[in-house]
Amino acid sequence: MHIPDGFISAPVAVGGVVVAAGAVACAVKVTNRGLGEKQVPLMGVLAAFIFAAQMLNFPVAGGTSGHFMGAALAAILLGPWAGLLIMTCVLLVQCLVFQDGGLLALGANVFNMGIVGCFLGYYIYQGVTLLMGNKRVVVLVAGGIAGWAAIVVAALFCALELGISGTVPLHVVLPAMGGVHALIGIGEGLITAAVLALVLATRPDLMRLGSQRA
Amino acid sequence: MKHSFIDQYCDLDSFIHRLDPRTKFVASLAFILAVLLTPAGKWWMFVFYFLIVLGLLIFSRLPPTYALKRSLAVIPFVLLIAIFIPFFKEGEIAGSYNIWLWKISVTYSGLFVLANVVAKAWLCILCLILLSSTTKLTELLRGLQQLGVPQAIVLILSFMYRYIFVLMDEAMRMQQAYQSRDIGGSLLRRLKTFGNMIGALFIRSYERGERIYAAMVSRGFDGQVRILNPLRLKGADVFFGVVFGVLLMSPYIILLVQ
Repeated sequence: MHIPDGFISAPVAVGGVVVAAGAVACAVKVTNRGLGEKQVPLMGVLAAFIFAAQMLNFPVAGGTSGHFMGAALAAILLGPWAGLLIMTCVLLVQCLVFQDGGLLALGANVFNMGIVGCFLGYYIYQGVTLLMGNKRVVVLVAGGIAGWAAIVVAALFCALELGISGTVPLHVVLPAMGGVHALIGIGEGLITAAVLALVLATRPDLMRLGSQRA
Repeated sequence: MKHSFIDQYCDLDSFIHRLDPRTKFVASLAFILAVLLTPAGKWWMFVFYFLIVLGLLIFSRLPPTYALKRSLAVIPFVLLIAIFIPFFKEGEIAGSYNIWLWKISVTYSGLFVLANVVAKAWLCILCLILLSSTTKLTELLRGLQQLGVPQAIVLILSFMYRYIFVLMDEAMRMQQAYQSRDIGGSLLRRLKTFGNMIGALFIRSYERGERIYAAMVSRGFDGQVRILNPLRLKGADVFFGVVFGVLLMSPYIILLVQ
């Protein structure tokens, strides 16, 4: 889902950069207010964590393998603004070191996977746990749904950007990307739930970081 | 574990390597923008931009096969786009094929869009490869800070860069341990194991972050990072910037004159 340069038109790319830059500037302020001078080392190490987690491959059926995006997980555990900051750093390094995703397309990628992934994931999780209570099952299900939805909606925005740029016909790419990622997202949702289960069992205090700093 | 794939050729010495990171970053952005704004079907412009980036690649003494191999990273996306080409309905039909029950026809307009997108994407990724394999990330981050990127982001990135290797080692060790003990089982079971691995990695990372912070505070960290010898633009940067800028603009000037 990392859009390389050239696949979205200049206006879409520049628009993405402007929106992403605004949101990230805001994220810097909000997390700095919550964390103070602790912000730099903690966010840095956790960004490296998401990066390393994305390098792990898990085997799916038929010899293919998938990896984890982690936007919803980061947002649930640390709050949406910290999640956005972490995803932005991960995407920046992936772009500058591995050419995974374009430089001018970085704005669009931050928008899809950072802004959409983190905020949607976070508010779905908060919404479900608020309605259904804070029981273990509810937390896991809410995390799973949040992980799934973050992938699917991020893919839909990716499709939308490609469609607006005229690279692909919008009416076909939208359902196709949505459909494929509805399947891929199941893996993300289950992993998100499994990670939350482990954190809940070993360091339940870390689960409350997100809501403290929202 | 080996991490030689990061920053592999940044230690070479060439005119391009010695340029200020800011010059290279701004030049790359300008190049990508110029390529993106190229009107569809102006093939001579694509050739012109290709010659520019090829010249710079030769100047930078990067192994040519390396840049070529790296640039193949765009292929998955190209395939994704290629799948949708048959759905461009308008225009003259270039050929139709019967695949099982479907009749698929490819129009010239669809192929035209694909060719343009592939040309642009390939030029942009070559430029990005040139930037990232001639500039150390630490240098690039310093350049970004002086270009106005908030200090917090730059510092987080430089911390991240330091700990990527540590955490990747940890992740790879986990993966190796898992693979050498993996006895198969259902997908659900594997996903659960995988979730446990990521969860363990998260807790270890978080605790590591807190330890690092404590170590920094005990050495007098107050939230500010002071930098010795800030970057200075040299004559070579100005020269390169002007020549590169004129080269990038020249096709557009020709277009305007026509």
